[in-house]
Amino acid sequence: MGVNTYDNNGWTVPDEDRADGLAKVTGRAKFVAEHRPAGLVYGVFVCSTIAKGYIKNMVISEAKKAPGVLDIIYYLNCPVVPGYQPVDKAKNPKGREYGGLKVFYNNQVFSNGQPIALVVADTFERAVHAASLVKAQYIVEKHETDFETNKHNDALLKKRGEYLRNEKDAWEKAEVKLEAEYHIPIETHNPMEMHGTIAVWEDDTKLTVYDKSQGPKSVQSELANIFALDEKKVQVITEFVGGAFGSGLRSWPHVHASVIAAKKLKRPVKITLTREQMFTMVGYRPSAWQKIGIGASKDGKLTGITHHAVSNTSQYEEFTEGIVGVSQFLYDCANVNTSYKILPLDVNTPVWMRGPGPATGCFALECALDELSYQLKMDPTELRSINDTAVNPVNKLPWTSRYLKECYALGKAKIGWDKRPTTPGTLKEDGMLVGYGMAVGVFWAGRGAATVNAILKQEGNLVLQSAVSDMGPGTSTAMVAIGKEQMGLASNQVRFELGNTDFPNGPTQGGSGSATAVGTAVMGACDDLKVALKKMAIEKIPAFQSLKAEEIQYEAGQLVSAKDKNVSVHFTELLQQANQTELTVTKSSGGFAQREKYEARSHSVHFVKLHVNPVTGVIQLKHIVSVADAGKIINEKTARSQMVGGAVGGIGMAMTEETLHDHRYGRYINSNFVDYHVPVHADAPPMDVLFVDKPDYILSPTGAKGIGEIALVGVAPAILNAVYNATGKRVRKLPVTPDNLVG
Amino acid sequence: MINFEYTKAPSTNAAIKARSSFAASQFIAGGTNLVDLMKRGVMAPERLIDITGLPLKDLGDGPAGLTIGALVPNSAVAEHPMVKAKYPLLAMALNAGASAQLRNMATVGGNLMQRTRCPYFYDTTMPCNKRTAGSGCSAMEGYNRMHAIFGASDACIAVHPSDMCVALAALDAVVHTSGPKGDRKIAFADFHRLPGNTPELDHNLQTGELITAVQVPANRYNKMYYLKVRDRLSYAFALVSVAVALEVSNNTIQSARLAMGGVAHKPWRLQAAEQLLVGKAATQANFAAAAELALEGAKTYQHNGYKVKLGKAAIIEALTKAMG
Amino acid sequence: MQENEQQGPSNQGRRSFLKRGTALATLAAMPPLLVKAGEKDEALSAYFEQVPLNIEINGKPYALSVEPRTTLLDLLREQLGLTGTKKGCDHGQCGCCTVHVDGRRINSCLSLAIMNNGKKVTTIEGLADGDNLHPMQEAFMKHDGFQCGYCTPGQIMSAIACIKEGHANTAADIREYMSGNICRCGAYPNIVDAIMEVKQGGQPL
Repeated sequence: MGVNTYDNNGWTVPDEDRADGLAKVTGRAKFVAEHRPAGLVYGVFVCSTIAKGYIKNMVISEAKKAPGVLDIIYYLNCPVVPGYQPVDKAKNPKGREYGGLKVFYNNQVFSNGQPIALVVADTFERAVHAASLVKAQYIVEKHETDFETNKHNDALLKKRGEYLRNEKDAWEKAEVKLEAEYHIPIETHNPMEMHGTIAVWEDDTKLTVYDKSQGPKSVQSELANIFALDEKKVQVITEFVGGAFGSGLRSWPHVHASVIAAKKLKRPVKITLTREQMFTMVGYRPSAWQKIGIGASKDGKLTGITHHAVSNTSQYEEFTEGIVGVSQFLYDCANVNTSYKILPLDVNTPVWMRGPGPATGCFALECALDELSYQLKMDPTELRSINDTAVNPVNKLPWTSRYLKECYALGKAKIGWDKRPTTPGTLKEDGMLVGYGMAVGVFWAGRGAATVNAILKQEGNLVLQSAVSDMGPGTSTAMVAIGKEQMGLASNQVRFELGNTDFPNGPTQGGSGSATAVGTAVMGACDDLKVALKKMAIEKIPAFQSLKAEEIQYEAGQLVSAKDKNVSVHFTELLQQANQTELTVTKSSGGFAQREKYEARSHSVHFVKLHVNPVTGVIQLKHIVSVADAGKIINEKTARSQMVGGAVGGIGMAMTEETLHDHRYGRYINSNFVDYHVPVHADAPPMDVLFVDKPDYILSPTGAKGIGEIALVGVAPAILNAVYNATGKRVRKLPVTPDNLVG
Repeated sequence: MINFEYTKAPSTNAAIKARSSFAASQFIAGGTNLVDLMKRGVMAPERLIDITGLPLKDLGDGPAGLTIGALVPNSAVAEHPMVKAKYPLLAMALNAGASAQLRNMATVGGNLMQRTRCPYFYDTTMPCNKRTAGSGCSAMEGYNRMHAIFGASDACIAVHPSDMCVALAALDAVVHTSGPKGDRKIAFADFHRLPGNTPELDHNLQTGELITAVQVPANRYNKMYYLKVRDRLSYAFALVSVAVALEVSNNTIQSARLAMGGVAHKPWRLQAAEQLLVGKAATQANFAAAAELALEGAKTYQHNGYKVKLGKAAIIEALTKAMG
Repeated sequence: MQENEQQGPSNQGRRSFLKRGTALATLAAMPPLLVKAGEKDEALSAYFEQVPLNIEINGKPYALSVEPRTTLLDLLREQLGLTGTKKGCDHGQCGCCTVHVDGRRINSCLSLAIMNNGKKVTTIEGLADGDNLHPMQEAFMKHDGFQCGYCTPGQIMSAIACIKEGHANTAADIREYMSGNICRCGAYPNIVDAIMEVKQGGQPL
């Protein structure tokens, strides 16, 4: 394959391949830290080594003398950050004080690893070394980082939501019932690209920031607010994002610190986090304790679910996520009660991580259902089918679409479900215990507002622009697919430009909503382009002058008279005739219009086959089949990859990942890739992805419902259910490692 | 990382002299562990003596056994057809360690010299007797799931991280060194140390003493296996590992060598279990008896109690796998 | 409340080697202008801390001056603008920084640049032959062996070496010998497919 180019600096790709693939396989793709504005210098954080207290003294003298050091910024010399200041509500009722960690604001320490100083030097090596010379002395206060021992400590817990549908704790009276507790540890996003920011001030009023973010627009607005700038004069560039999985959903101390330092030094400053700092500064999935009580009649009809959850947050921010919601809406059950509490600890703040809420909630609910199925001696897919629901039981609104039964059928056939032993621990293959398991994943399908520019070029290309970013799923590729279909062009004639706040407003990439939101705007923009072209044809082309717009059809680039097929003009020729190099429209699309009438969810059903070594307890996954009810699949290749990737994330959640504190120091002790295990190649079995592929046109004209979250949600319980099927051991605390299953 | 002086040693003698004459110096070859430790501020040598130009890169087999130059990369040993054919245990252990990239960089001598992966050793903000003598052992009362069950002391419960060394221990390897006081040969069992009161010392080399080669004696083992149990299926340190070398004829074990990794400050030979197996039939019952005996005397801490059960299981499984 | 002094890593203070012989020898060889500048402690130390490095990268010879502590990875990314090679952990734990040195794959983050003196380095930027992609780059595109693309250069460099080493005979082999390259997006099965195809294609790598 040769490297063709179009539009001077673009590229061409085969139809279904990633639009930005060539840049990525050649190393040309420029990620944040790889930009190099003139005069760039390096900032390296000094971080707290206590979990709670105050800085008594910062000893910076030795570091200041170190070669290449330009400045050391900490609370005593940090310039005033306008947005960090308390707001006088009497004078400024709309004023908003920044609610996150205010970097270098004062001497207070909220968590171990909090940035307390920034050393800026002319080279990376010199900055790193000088940072090691800064010493802090502290006034230490007693900290609490232990979730496990405090998860029922009412003095610390905060109630954040209770729900009751009909009778409370009705499961207790059921014919068949169980109650069990489920635990997940802190999981850390750990995208491969470490977070980083380069801040460049042109003058005191204009700021350009290269930042790894899932929402360039939200970073722009936050920085404008915090540094009291005109939003138009803050440009955020996020062309390529090396994964994020939620860690880029908000900005973090290093973003502010780079802006502060660049302003103080009057030169561009780059901060890239270390892998260790990726654990302490950019969020994580909180640890959670859950208890589920579930009951059913002998024929498998659910009669009651009680679901309690506690998850942790920090002392300086409240982080919540919808963990127990799945028990309210996923299955038909007359009596449901749930509660959710958060436990503030002296730790950094969590943030949404792939499948936030349901990933945690489905682990408990879907394992509990599996346990119930054995008591009922019923196939777990049958149990779920019996309790399927055509409406959301919470508000009785119908689903925009729901194809769970189709998912069960497809997945069972593919994994070979008929070989699943109904009695655990009874099937062996090559001396290994064999287990099959399944679980359902679900996530809210949303559709936010988005705006795109659509620029039709005289030379025949379509350029689409929106200020979104793409952390990997392939937003560009999907938008190119929609654009080419709408305009009847080839893939290599369409380009989607993103990652720049100079483009029109796009949503933050999260919650599996990019495809529906931006895709709807792209479709609208293409419609508008066609309208404009028809108008232009009537004005500029004599043969069209007598026609009304509705008498002109747009077919594969041609404007054709409905009256006479021989009267036609290609838009390239039309633009030429009109003496226009390009035609631009800007189109906004709103959120889901029918949200009062419908409930929208994406669903997945994951099937797992695995081996467990009966002696050592080592698990070897053999096959994963993920089936998605995600609406229309816009690009099957990238959609499949997203599903496969989510399954790998689920393998990590189920089997390898656990962020650990030493509570004596309140400090993470495995904040690296040696001790925090993310799955490697050897852990990933052959996988199949199946799509129900039924468009959901109620949610959006794209027909899509979103894939990113449901790819992961449900994988972990499917694996744990398969482990039980293989061994008869029910593990309810993640991750399941060989020591849980040995012997 | 502090900046440091870099010199490339032109000869073994020059390297030894340079190292002996300056206490704050270190040899460097593959650098896979040392550079990492320097980045973390755990080690801060002021001078690095690059020994990669030294003529210690031969690998050969003779009547006395296999001799591997200290600078032969781990991958070159693991991939060597003769090693795979005659010393498969060594190849298996090497391939169980690290990643293909790291095995290309890391040398055999460096593998012996690698330091523990105890997280408290790596994080300079928490006490560690191995890093800073007398500061205390954070692992003892801390998170010790990966830690020792044999041979630990009140000062340190860290484990040696190498896989290759477990195989070398089982194969009764000999470490050849050159130093200021001349050349010597160190039996593998005497190379690494238990922590005792001096956990800062991993091994018994003297300052300036350089590993020149590792020799693996010729042997008659016809059943070998290296089993590593870890938290993911590759690229992770061992929860426990077991090296098995057996000489078996007519299903009777004539001689046996067993060593474990992930359980002690040094590769842990299971001599009592070896003796139990000699003269016995290769049966599950005998394997189980050997495993039982091997784990006698294990001392566990808050999070690593599983190693007793897992260790026994791993021994049985490794013996079973060795018998094929 | 109690007061507590926390100590960071032990530090050696001002470095001792400046006072020693090698430093003096270098001083004698310095041009007068630099010696004058060298009266400032910082400039002097900067001068001493650089060592010459001759290295060939993607077929192009470079005569450089580097600090001994500079890793090959940081040399590529921060000094030579070869940012295709990625930093994912900086500790040899992820494989993003994989390059070939004299034809063998290594983690460039754990390799001091100076220790590659006289060696030939190939990075992702050196794979394509003009406009023609390397077969492994093509296969990664075809099989969608990535999502975010950040680990991709390391995966591709590793994948080529994996085949050359003879470790790509089965899918299981590939999984094991590619395990030093972490992909958080989870493109593993696609990467394995890409490598299998290139291996079976038998094209020169």
